[in-house]
Amino acid sequence: MHPLRHPRNAIFVGLLFSATGVVYWGVQSIAGWHVDFAGVTMLILLGVAMSILAYVLIAGSPND
Amino acid sequence: MAGDSRALTTADHSPVAGLAHDARGGISNVVLGMLLFITSEVMFFGGLFAAYFNVRANAPLWPTINPETQHQFHLEMLPLVLPATFILILSSFTCQLAVWGIRRGDRTAFLRNISVTFLIGIAFLIMQGTDYVILGSEGMTLSAGTYGTTYFTLTGFHGAHVFGGVIMLGVLLYRGLAGQFSARHHDAVEAVSLYWHFVDVVWILLFSLLYLLPGKG
Repeated sequence: MHPLRHPRNAIFVGLLFSATGVVYWGVQSIAGWHVDFAGVTMLILLGVAMSILAYVLIAGSPND
Repeated sequence: MAGDSRALTTADHSPVAGLAHDARGGISNVVLGMLLFITSEVMFFGGLFAAYFNVRANAPLWPTINPETQHQFHLEMLPLVLPATFILILSSFTCQLAVWGIRRGDRTAFLRNISVTFLIGIAFLIMQGTDYVILGSEGMTLSAGTYGTTYFTLTGFHGAHVFGGVIMLGVLLYRGLAGQFSARHHDAVEAVSLYWHFVDVVWILLFSLLYLLPGKG
């Protein structure tokens, strides 16, 4: 049995990465550092990509 | 545990519930391939967006100065940008109507809606080309500093993806007219619709970024 079971749960995998991106941006902003916008963008979109990949892995798995 | 084992059945739960899947509950190879391709495309556009944000954040003035006129670029809402955005969003709906049509075996609805989507795709490309001509006449070209470079790279690559989508829609239309799709066999329709929706979402992000996000300096 797949640990995530429901294909819709794939979104939580992506949210982990996107949330990391938001935290990455937040820490730099609050600390007054130069914000690495490229890194923030890539992390957030990596979350989207990971969501789709996780969806493929879950929904594409056989039921047995 | 019978209920748990059915939890992976795409037909029951997933947002792409109607996608073709085999008897054991997986998704078809065509759709699987398209989803993986779209995943790679997300990161491709991610790289372009990241470059844009980085250049923008490091520029003292945004939009930058036009090296030819020494005036700041001013990207006004071009006459065809809003209509082009509207019809592209509309095309996602017509594309989905085509998918729903073929899922219930209504080939007439499928052909009608896929034709409209195909024509809208062509219209979008013509409108984008017209906007490029207008921008070129105002001195904004690919070589007009970082602003021109990022603008044309982002919109150009998106346009290339729309062009690819139009070719796919053309193939669907041709195959549909030949009677190759049915309620049971239409994996290609599902796959192309996923791609078209993706291209649409990218344009909405691009439009928001280039035309709605205020400049600085």
